[in-house]
Formats: sequence, structure tokens, C-alpha cells
Amino acid sequence: MATESETPGPDEPPGFRPTAEDIEKWMASAFDMAKDALESGEVPVGCLMVYQDQVVGKGRNHVNETKNVLEWCLRKEADPRRVCARTVLYVTVEPCVMCAAALRLLNVPVVVYGCGNDRFGGCGSVLDVSSAPLPHTGTPFQEAVEMLKTFYRQQNPNAPRPKTRKD
Amino acid sequence: MEPQLKRRKESENDDVDTWAALPVLSDQQSHDTKLIPAFAAPITDKKETSRLMKELHSLYPLPGLQHIKRVRPRKPADGLHSLEVLVCLVSDAPGIDLHSESLTIDSLLPSDGIRLNGLGPPFLVKIPACPPLTRPQFQVASKHWPTTFHEDKQVTVALRGELFSRPQKSRMQGYMEAALAAARAGGESGQEPVGAAMVDPKAEMIVAVGHDCRAGNPLHHAVMVCIDLVARGQGGGAYCFDKYPACTSALSPTSSNSKPASKTLQTMAEVVEEGQPYICTGYDLYVTREPCVMCAMALVHSRIGRVFYGTASNDGALGTKYKLHAQRDLNHRFEVFQGVLSQQCQDLYALKDPIKH
Ligand SMILES: [Zn+2]
Ligand SMILES: [Zn+2]
Repeated sequence: MATESETPGPDEPPGFRPTAEDIEKWMASAFDMAKDALESGEVPVGCLMVYQDQVVGKGRNHVNETKNVLEWCLRKEADPRRVCARTVLYVTVEPCVMCAAALRLLNVPVVVYGCGNDRFGGCGSVLDVSSAPLPHTGTPFQEAVEMLKTFYRQQNPNAPRPKTRKD
Repeated sequence: MEPQLKRRKESENDDVDTWAALPVLSDQQSHDTKLIPAFAAPITDKKETSRLMKELHSLYPLPGLQHIKRVRPRKPADGLHSLEVLVCLVSDAPGIDLHSESLTIDSLLPSDGIRLNGLGPPFLVKIPACPPLTRPQFQVASKHWPTTFHEDKQVTVALRGELFSRPQKSRMQGYMEAALAAARAGGESGQEPVGAAMVDPKAEMIVAVGHDCRAGNPLHHAVMVCIDLVARGQGGGAYCFDKYPACTSALSPTSSNSKPASKTLQTMAEVVEEGQPYICTGYDLYVTREPCVMCAMALVHSRIGRVFYGTASNDGALGTKYKLHAQRDLNHRFEVFQGVLSQQCQDLYALKDPIKH
């Protein structure tokens, strides 16, 4: 798996940028989730929010994940803002326009996704919400894009196209 | 709250004349008329007109400019000839010096291609590059060169602010007032003063009212709250807004059986087909300020019918930064109108935060 290895910019807090090993490990988990979902007849999307090597949110859509992240913060008495600012989202399919905007509102700095989503994608496919100049919609985020478009075809030749409403 | 709104007397709503709901059109419908330079020439002998049109058309067919009329009546200031014909685009005749005295009809047309009888000296014009889609675009385009225009009468009426009758405006105002009241309640409890009301226009009934709750969760914008309340009313929903008394849904989960059977069946069919209910199908949303991109996309996902907002916002996605409702590659499009009780909605934000208004 190839990864982007840019050095963090001056404004970025050090240490939140995922390493190649992180990406490989957590994307593998996300794809396992997607496979499980597919096998039980559900939408094959896997999604993990990882903060300091811990899964703080898990699910197939941002409503569940953010709910989980906020509950996690409550349990750990952590400040959701600080947690989100150092959280990486790993997701098998490019977040939709809505979720991309939500990730900005949460100030999640990095999103790693598998295949693009040309029906709803908000990181460049339909719109590029992830980096657009929207000053009141949170900070733009970087994408360390892993092109794994062939996942569904390679591993599940009979799988339907991923449907990603509210992925 | 619904019967009250329904029975509201029109006389109470004299201020329906203080606002107009104007359509937020696509970029294609609202952009300025783009012009491209072309050469035209007077027709000095009217009898040659149809031959010239035919020959010029086969020589310079002007692809993509089917809306352009080839011939126009002469301008009144010019008394010499009665018709002018479009010869070619400037880009069709490379190497022509536009300002040179040597600009002659011979230099534009191959000597063997066309008989020049009846054509006067060419001159430069600017012609509309795209077909006009609205009456204002048509009016601007026509000043430069005549075009065809397939008028959408409803758009013309809507652009004049006359699409809605007084009784309709009175009802719309009632819905926006519910959104305004929620916004104020939210503002008083420390939230952004934004409110939204989901309306079933057929039943003339408010289905859910919500305000911004982003102080509790950064994603709980008024529109998201409202959609979640609608989902809750239909037996779904991810959140509980019981601690916000101004956020209410007309249909509690237990009373969801009382929903019209057709809607329930339709919703079920959609769940089966798409894995997610299109919970706002056929509903109108009234929201005090233009939704952000997250909220706008949530409205696409939930298949909203129409959206009415009071004022624009800096990062708005239904007119300001994006026009998500008119985005061609999305699978649901809807109408958006802005300006319902615009002053009241504007005042709301002026109190709270002059920057974000
Ligand atoms: Zn999404
Ligand atoms: Zn919003």
C-alpha cells in the first residue's frame, strides 16, 4: 500500500498524522467491517474513528460515529474538540457531501478512504467540501487517499456497488 | 399548534406584503449572459436574404449556437439597410485584424464559396453564447443579438415574486414564524439563533419544529434537528431532544400508526429499495437562514420537497457557496426560495453575531 508522506504543515499539531502502518492496520479493520456488513446483507461500508491508537467511533454512518465519539469523550471526561482535532477517520468509501461537511464541523484533520463515491462523494467526486473555502464550516481536512477501488470487485465478485447514502 | 396556524386570519398577516419568496435558481439560470464576438453584415438587397442565409449556414453552421437567429432587423439608427445577417464567429476567421480598414466581406468568405451579391461591409458584434433560460437573461441577450427563448412561465412569475398567492403567503409566513419562535427559544438557551419547521404542505400541518443545538453537539444544526425529529415521528431518529422543549415533533413514535397509510407504505417501499427511508418526501422546510452544506446534503438524502429560507448565510449551500439543490450529478433536486420574512430572520442574527449574520 502506498501512502502519502508529506511532512505536517506549521499549523498542524504534531503527531496526529497517521503513519503508513497505522493506515494499513486501520483500513484493514474498516474493510473487515465492510465485509461483515456485506455478508449479513447490509450496506458494505466500514468506518472507524481512531484517536491515539484507540477506536473512539465505529459504524457505517456519521450519525452513529459522532454519537459514539461524543459518548466516548463523556466516558473518558475528554474534551471532544481536542479529541476530534487528533482523530483520523478511516472509511472504505469516500464520505458523502454531508459527512465531509460534518467532519469539517468536528475539525477532524485527516480522512483516509478507500474508493471514491461518484454519486455523493464530498472529497472531490461530486463536490470538494473537504478543502473548499468555507470559513464557518470548520477547518478543511487532508485526505491520505488509498485507492482501493478494486476491493468490491476483487474480493466479492458478486457484490453490489457500494451504496453510500449517509455512508 | 397546527389548527391555530390553519385558522390564522389573513388580516393578521398584512405584512405578507413586506417580503417576497424568490427562487434560488441554478447557475445556468442565473449567470450573466456570456458573449462571443462575431461578424455580421448588412443585407443590402433583401431579395438575396434566403439564399445568403442558406449559403452562410452551410459555410459557417455555428454549431452549439442554435439559439442564435441568423438574421436580425436593422437597427433604427441605420437608415440604409433593413436586415443584418450573422456571417461567422471571429474564431471562424483566424488572422483577421478586427480594427483594420482592410476588414472586408471578401476576407471573411472564400471567393469560390458564396456569391457576395447583396452583402454590405462586415462589422463586429457580440452574440449570446448560451440560450437564455429566464426572462431576465433573454432581455439582456436580446440587447446584443436576437435569440430564441423557450420560456418557463413559472420561473418568470417566480422571479417577479408573484408565484404565491396572498393566502399561500399567509400560511408560509405562519410556518416561518414557528421557525422564528424556535430560533429565539434556542438563542435564549445559548444556542445559535436558527430555527426550522418541517411542513406537510398537503395537510397544511407542521410536522416538526427545531432549533440549533450545536452548543451540545457541533452537528446539531436546526435542519439536522428537524430531520431527526421527523425521523423520530416516523419511528426512527438517532437523538433525543427532550431537554429542548422548543424542539418538537407532531408525531410521537407511539402515534406513528396514525400516519396516513399511503405515506407509511411509501416509506416502507423506499426502505426496502434504498436501505434508508426518504423521510421528508413531499415535505417543505422553512428555516430562518440558508442551510450549510451538511444540512443541505441531509435534505438531499431525505428527499425534501421544497426549502424556504429567510436570509442567506456566508457558507450557505443553497445559493451562496453552492447550489446543492440544483447540482446535476446528485440524484435528487428540489426548489429553493429565499426571502420569507427576511427582515425578521435577519434581525435574529444581527442580535447574536453580526459577523455570521
Ligand atoms: Zn454521508
Ligand atoms: Zn448546517
